[in-house]
This record gives sequence, structure tokens and C-alpha cells, in this order.
Amino acid sequence: MTPDLEIFRLSSALASHASARQSVIARNVAHVDTPGYTARDLPAFDDIMQKTSASPLRARQTREGHEASPDGPIRMQARAIDVDGTESPNGNSVTLEDQMVRAAETRRQHDLAMAVYRKSMEIFRLGLSRPR
Amino acid sequence: MQDFLKSMAASASGLSAQSARLRLTSENIANADTPGFRGKGVSFEAIHRGDGAVRTGSVSLSQAAFERVFDPTHPLAGEDGYYDGSNVNLMVEIADAREAQRSYEANLKMFDQARTMASSLLDLLRR
Repeated sequence: MTPDLEIFRLSSALASHASARQSVIARNVAHVDTPGYTARDLPAFDDIMQKTSASPLRARQTREGHEASPDGPIRMQARAIDVDGTESPNGNSVTLEDQMVRAAETRRQHDLAMAVYRKSMEIFRLGLSRPR
Repeated sequence: MQDFLKSMAASASGLSAQSARLRLTSENIANADTPGFRGKGVSFEAIHRGDGAVRTGSVSLSQAAFERVFDPTHPLAGEDGYYDGSNVNLMVEIADAREAQRSYEANLKMFDQARTMASSLLDLLRR
């Protein structure tokens, strides 16, 4: 039995996606009044997973140069993309309400990853513990 | 973890930029009745250093015309009884202050969220 279980890899990939997304959104909110700033966001987690893996749970190596070995941690290398929004007269496209919704989504994603990780760890420990 | 630090740094830069803006706005309001006072304004710009923080640009003076106030007893009044008041528009300043407060709260909320997420990540180590 290896400790490098799929569920741990998946939940840590979700957590790292959520934290990367959080930093993109925090940047958007910091620039809410900067003229000419365009709001950005990361692609959704399941979109990235579908691109990097054949089955939803296994990362697949698509090209020689890529490092997505099936046993290593799933690498989240998403690039932030511009999102559409109503542009204000100074050329800024950040909408505070939209960013708040995205932030809440990110928070939920991260909580989910943490809960899954913790629960799997508990089950893992239960399996290793002495019978009572 | 690195992302959370970046996120908190961006929020902190937003907080300090918004509070600098709020300070200028309250200076303008305080000097709304000072003769010859020009309202100050500041614009935000991105720091191009990778972490994407925000900072305030240079302070600019409002070029609007001074308000002509009629008060022949005022020491600065000319022969026609008028003197130049400030060019601060209170309505604009109050709207600006409200916007700054709203953005400040949003930044604070993002900072708090990054902090909570980071601490829940560290909670995994605690047991």
C-alpha cells in the first residue's frame, strides 16, 4: 500500500489550484480602480484536469518534454486568462461583485480539498491502527 | 503557500493604495473652504514586478476653476467684493470617499479569506 494515493494527489491539486486562483482574484480586487486593468482568472479546475488526463483521476503524459509522470504530484500549470466584464470609462474591467462570487467559489473549492484530504487521512489512519 | 503570500501582498498593496486615496479625499474635504486651495487627486498604477501589486501614482492638482465667493468683508476680497474659494467639489469628494471605502473593504475581505485558507491548510499539520 502506497501513501501516494490518487485521492491525496487529486485533493492537493485542487487545493493548489484554489490557492493560485485566490492570488489571481486578490490581484484583480487590488486593481479594482486601476485605469486600463483587465480582470483575469484561471480556467476551471475540471477543464484543466480534462486536458491533462485521460481518465479524470490519472494524469497522462502527452509529450516527451512534459513532466506529468503518473506517480508524481499533479502539476497545476494553468495560465491566467482575461475574463470578459463590463468595462468602465477608464478601461478597467474588474467588477467587484463578480470577483466576490469567484472568491467565494475559490473558498468553497479549497474547503472541499481540505475536507477530502483530512477525511482520507483519517480513513488511512484507521486502516493502519490496531484492531480494538 | 506561496500563492497565499502573494495574494496577501496584493491585498495589502490595495489596502495601502485605497487608504492613501482616502487620505487625499479627506484633506480635500477639510480644505473645502480654504481660499485658493486646489483639490488633489491620485491615480492607481500597476507595479510591474511580477507580483502584480498596485500603488498610487503621482498626486495631481485639480485644474477646475476656483469658486468665486462674494464676501466684501473678507480680507482676500477684491474691489468687486469677490474672492477665489477652493475648487473642491464636495459631491465628487464624497462619492470618491465612498468608492475608496468600498474597495478598501473588498481588499480587506480578500486578505482575510487568504489568511483563513492558509490557516486551514496549516491545520492539516496539527493532527
